[in-house]
Amino acid sequence: MLRLVANRLLGTASGVVLKRPLQVLPRFYHENVIDHYNNPRNVGSFDKNDPNVGTGLVGAPACGDVMKLQIKIDEESGKIVDACFKTFGCGSAIASSSVATEWVKGKSMDEVLTIKNTEIAKHLSLPPVKLHCSMLAEDAIKAAVKDAEAKRAKMKPSPIEKAADVL
Amino acid sequence: MASRLPILRRISILLKAPPSTTLRSLRPSLARRFLLRKVLAPNVSPWICAAASSFCSGPLNLPQDSQGPAAIDYRSVLSEDEYHRLANSTIQDLQEKLEEFGDIVELEGFDVDYGNEVLTLKLGTLGTYVMNKQTPNRQIWLSSPISGPSRFDWDHNAQAWVYRRTKANLLKLLESELEQLCNKPVNLS
Repeated sequence: MLRLVANRLLGTASGVVLKRPLQVLPRFYHENVIDHYNNPRNVGSFDKNDPNVGTGLVGAPACGDVMKLQIKIDEESGKIVDACFKTFGCGSAIASSSVATEWVKGKSMDEVLTIKNTEIAKHLSLPPVKLHCSMLAEDAIKAAVKDAEAKRAKMKPSPIEKAADVL
Repeated sequence: MASRLPILRRISILLKAPPSTTLRSLRPSLARRFLLRKVLAPNVSPWICAAASSFCSGPLNLPQDSQGPAAIDYRSVLSEDEYHRLANSTIQDLQEKLEEFGDIVELEGFDVDYGNEVLTLKLGTLGTYVMNKQTPNRQIWLSSPISGPSRFDWDHNAQAWVYRRTKANLLKLLESELEQLCNKPVNLS
């Protein structure tokens, strides 16, 4: 119910927000959050059994936020070629995870571990009470990378096996 | 201490065994909580329900510095009543001390507000702190303009709220940050 009301308010207010400077109306979502909420990037899922897919699942329904972030790794280069997410939670949580999927694409796994929740929060101008959403997005990235690395470690044949194949 | 072991064992059995058999074997209060969690989200799509049953209330900070969801069920570590008692007394105590601090430090836009179990500390242009309870994880969540978001668990040994990732103590963190922001020392212990 609250969500419907909030959506309607956002819908009617979004026109107003864009015309006035945002400092005057601190209660409204930043336009980046609204953009990601209305046009979320990379929603979907990959096959989690794919050896090149890392899945990060963080949060808990009881807490109000669950994020699933998946990354597809290129076998040769070890870089992230694609990412997708599914999030259950508030607009800020959805926007944070959407931003996370945008930022990880094309980067190496080591690079994305340096993405900080403060950067996501700054990009979305998250209010203090919503900073936890950005931290959840950072954790989702880390969990996905951890899963991907674990899978890659399993997949890599040991040097002895490789030598045996050659012979 | 001895009474906790059977609970922990039951929790680990629950995690391994199929759901239909375990609810009956659990203590009624624990069983109710699991059912309640599923009931609370009736409109949620199937994959979410699967996620809920596949991992318990996953708090994000692990005992060792890991970066994924934890496998510990925090309900077994601290009972809900105990948690509420501790968290409420910490937050209310902080509220009083911060109000006194506000009288000492003359800061434009200083405001302490407590409503719906959320403590908001406004420091005018210096930023805003928000502190709230996160009951499912037995945590206190803090949002700071300096250190960002942090999640504090109750540490029995230290008798304090500690953020596992940085080992920060809630009260000490607030004291040092407030002193840094307002140039006046404060004692919150």
